[in-house]
Amino acid sequence: MSDRSKLIATGKPFKFDKKRDTEFEQLVKRYPSRESMVLPALWLVQEQESWVCQEAIGYIADRIGTFASKVYEVATFYSMFNLHPVGKYHICVCRTLSCWLRGKQDIVNYFRDELNLTPGKATEDKKFSLEEVECLGHCGSAPVLQINGEFYENMDVDKVKKLLATFK
Amino acid sequence: MMQEAKILSAKFAIKNSNKLTVAKKHGAYQTLDKLFSSKQGDVIEIVKNSGLRGRGGAGFPTGMKWSFLPKGLDKPVYLAVNADESEPGTFKDRYILAQDPHLLIEGIIIACYAINSHDAYIYIRGEYTTQRTILQNAIDEACKAGLIGEKVGKQNYRINITIHRGAGAYICGEETALLESIEGKKGQPRSKPPFPAVEGLYACPTIINNVQSIASLPWIIQNGAMAYKRYGIESATGTHLFGISGHVEKPGVYELPFGLPLLDVINEMAGGVWKGRKLKGVIPGGSSCPVLTPEEAATATLDYASMAEHKTMFGSGGIVVLDETVSMPELAVNLTQFYHHESCGQCTPCREGLGWMEKILKKIVAGEATMRDLNLVRELCDNIEGKTVCVLAAACTMPIRALLDKYRDEFEALLKPEPTDAVTEASAEQE
Amino acid sequence: MTEMIKLFVNGEEVEVESGKNLIDALEKVGIEIPHFCYHPALGADGNCRMCLVGIEDGRPPVVPACKTLAKEGMKVLLDADNIKKIQHDVMELEFINHPTDCPICDQAGECKLQDYYMKYEGTESRMWVPQVTKRKMQDFGGGVIHDQERCVACGRCVRFLRQITRTGELGLVNRGDDCRVEFFPGRPINNRYGLNVVDLCPVGALTSADFRFKQRAWFLKRAESICHGCSKGCNIMVDHNKEKYEDDIIYRLRPRQNEQVNGWFMCDEGRMTYKLENDNRLEECTLAGAVRPLADIFADAERRIERATKVLFLVSPSASLEQLAAVQALAEKTGATVSAFSDGYIVKDDGDDFLIKDDKAANRAGVDLLGIAKSRTHFDNMAKEADVFINFGNDLSRSLSEEQIGRLFSDTWVLNGATHPGQLGAVMEKKVGSSIALRSWSEYHGVVVNCDGIAQKFVGGVMKNVERPDIVEMAAGLGSPATGTAAAWALVQKKIPALAEFGGFLELPAEGVKLTDNEAGK
Repeated sequence: MSDRSKLIATGKPFKFDKKRDTEFEQLVKRYPSRESMVLPALWLVQEQESWVCQEAIGYIADRIGTFASKVYEVATFYSMFNLHPVGKYHICVCRTLSCWLRGKQDIVNYFRDELNLTPGKATEDKKFSLEEVECLGHCGSAPVLQINGEFYENMDVDKVKKLLATFK
Repeated sequence: MMQEAKILSAKFAIKNSNKLTVAKKHGAYQTLDKLFSSKQGDVIEIVKNSGLRGRGGAGFPTGMKWSFLPKGLDKPVYLAVNADESEPGTFKDRYILAQDPHLLIEGIIIACYAINSHDAYIYIRGEYTTQRTILQNAIDEACKAGLIGEKVGKQNYRINITIHRGAGAYICGEETALLESIEGKKGQPRSKPPFPAVEGLYACPTIINNVQSIASLPWIIQNGAMAYKRYGIESATGTHLFGISGHVEKPGVYELPFGLPLLDVINEMAGGVWKGRKLKGVIPGGSSCPVLTPEEAATATLDYASMAEHKTMFGSGGIVVLDETVSMPELAVNLTQFYHHESCGQCTPCREGLGWMEKILKKIVAGEATMRDLNLVRELCDNIEGKTVCVLAAACTMPIRALLDKYRDEFEALLKPEPTDAVTEASAEQE
Repeated sequence: MTEMIKLFVNGEEVEVESGKNLIDALEKVGIEIPHFCYHPALGADGNCRMCLVGIEDGRPPVVPACKTLAKEGMKVLLDADNIKKIQHDVMELEFINHPTDCPICDQAGECKLQDYYMKYEGTESRMWVPQVTKRKMQDFGGGVIHDQERCVACGRCVRFLRQITRTGELGLVNRGDDCRVEFFPGRPINNRYGLNVVDLCPVGALTSADFRFKQRAWFLKRAESICHGCSKGCNIMVDHNKEKYEDDIIYRLRPRQNEQVNGWFMCDEGRMTYKLENDNRLEECTLAGAVRPLADIFADAERRIERATKVLFLVSPSASLEQLAAVQALAEKTGATVSAFSDGYIVKDDGDDFLIKDDKAANRAGVDLLGIAKSRTHFDNMAKEADVFINFGNDLSRSLSEEQIGRLFSDTWVLNGATHPGQLGAVMEKKVGSSIALRSWSEYHGVVVNCDGIAQKFVGGVMKNVERPDIVEMAAGLGSPATGTAAAWALVQKKIPALAEFGGFLELPAEGVKLTDNEAGK
């Protein structure tokens, strides 16, 4: 895993919006310990903002009543938390075993050659960002992409081309 | 012709089977009356007698696991359902979560009742977004229908089910790392003892079962242990959702009884090696299981004992087929990169060793390595394994060792000649 | 009494205390099991894997010693080939990404990696691929500097700040070989015990901004002492050195283990008190404003005591039992009154529930045990009557303003024994009849009694270039029958029978002697 410890500060205080605030209060009742809310709360942040900024980590720590260092640990440990802004369409390409066997590299090369998009980066217009991720659990329909949470199975370069055209 | 069994996958092909009304029409929740009129101990006995073994990968007998719970403790008992399916080559639980979530919920009710638990947490991997939504809807439906909640069944038994999302950490499939994650921490496995059955979630007795294990329960309760044992073989009863992927014509999930010949399953169910190519190897149960050569694969059957005889593991039943074009050194890099990426960073050997192995293997693939690098990476497999809190390190070293030993020629072919003065080279590299 | 059990180490029978893990149990009988992450104060974490030992007939056969309870009849294997190989292999893995920068590393000389390399590894590097690189020289706050590449990720610092200070500033972020210790941006180490993480760090990853690059560890002389910063009496090591042509200088104070007093720790303020021992010290003895030999000052003062109608001695509540007894004996002989007035040593609400106490006096309990008065009223009344006033090292400026001191002693002849200027206030010090520069606590031996009534010995290892008397010598010079520390100790034993069995202060056990249930200085 690469270094994820450099957090990005927005310079603005973070707060849950009304929807997430309500969800937080609902979820907290499901656990006997407030600390269990660290992961759910980080997910709420990411749903709200599409990434997790430094201020949000401090906010969650204070809201839960735990050390900021603990939330910081968790945010950097779990690779799905985006610790920097992502594109409008965040594309995750599975890089592991079965997807690799069935040609994920062609797709990654396509992004590189056609969109000048390499893993860990975003296109200049911030429309697309790309990440190579570990096994997505769709080995039977490899290679697979996950874009903003949606799965796209049995992909190849042609299908990727057509798919990208549908994203406005 | 080989036939699929339909214990877990009975509703997979039915449209909208994840909706309560549809699921009920096809038999969901029919075990509850019988369940709540049975004694809790009797339920455990049935599961013990069925021979059901954990379907997550370790294959530990489910009924026996339950019986490790201490008696008469003044603490709540928790059920944690492991839906963190992340072992490369494994994609079976996802089908249950998305196609038949009510089967899982019914199984949770059975398990909770058997182990006297009132709170179940389903730990689902963060990547399973659509699956989570479907599962949450099913839980809400079941709750509304009074199937779970404050008063369930004849005995007014309380059962709450909470979905807890992971966020991209393979290690959380390890049961104590999973508990740490629910508690809001990094997923770093705990030293055992204490075992979770004694001190698990929130330091309370906890049972952790795989999705497929739990989903097997309704059929067992409905039809009895003897009926379940008619499937499979003596040491591995029942059916399994085999995920077949890689270089086959028809990859997918197939429900089959244990004990069938591996190659027959690959050929008859999955259409054999794709594009008319030759078989080079089979990873039989997920990426951590040592690869089988075609010769070994020819005599292996899909059960725990046969895989052990072949010095590999049944694992999760995720079969990955490799055709003749696969570069085994590159495969070794791909797998090591995965385990290096997923090492939690706790134990020294795994934390430092897997990255080292990855770099050496990459050096070999790049054609920059010599024999001493190859010998070193082979030695590291032995040095790293078996010295850590959990088995993630071994999950990497076992398959890499097998690749290095069984396909050594391929690695050696990439080496450059040993420098005449190794010392000079070493000091040059240090600079 | 602790129950003892017998077990076997490499086939040899040893008797150890029951209820301890293998590392602690065997350490007590001199058998070392190497480890990085385990620390008795922080519990077993089990992450470093360096303490794996073999258990003959055990299941599993190899276990982490930190998590394994010593049991009767257990057969522990430390020198089996497989165990030696594990130790070698774990060390190699600790090293692959560790910089070879011992020559510029402050930890060199007291580094577990260095020690264990010599003992368990000792082979050439096989790191023929690039190392993982991380951040260098990070300011962690609280005077702690961090080098991520030297870190072995044992997590001791993280656990200390979570479990002991409960401030939780540090965390181990990332995973795999990218894991590293970090603080959350904007929330660096900020508590009164932060520097303990430097001692806890088994390697050179955490160093003290105050100490680093000042001295190599192997040049330092060590004196086992007691912190005089407050009434807790934390056991400390005074690390000092006298370089050629220079004075003997203290470079740092470190906590020394004493389970019934301070455990393994001390506060940061206490740690920094060494600077007072080094800096701004009085060096000269004066008579009527002129520098004079000590003998002249003693002779003059002795005459004045004889002629005076009322003499008042003021002692410090941080003075040793021997010093207090020597002054008491002088008072008895001359008819003088002794006071240990020191209200100002008590800083209300400064203490906490860990080590820091409100009372900044090191031996107030000793003052009480010897029956020395310390009330303000008593001191005020005696001061008004006295025509000779002698200060034996009390920092009166903590208790009274310059004005108050001036008023009390406006017509009094004053002899001021002091370690630092300003202890009687600058104005008064210009008017004193005589002054004597005294030794400070790092320069003499003695016994002090802490707030919990535990008598503890301390050794003064620092030898300053300027000769100064300590208080026992000052009292003796003024005619005290206690002519030396041994005589003073005999007087102490008469007053405190619990100490009678110890022939000299050095005979006191290392963990101290519990004298009373005194809760002074709360």
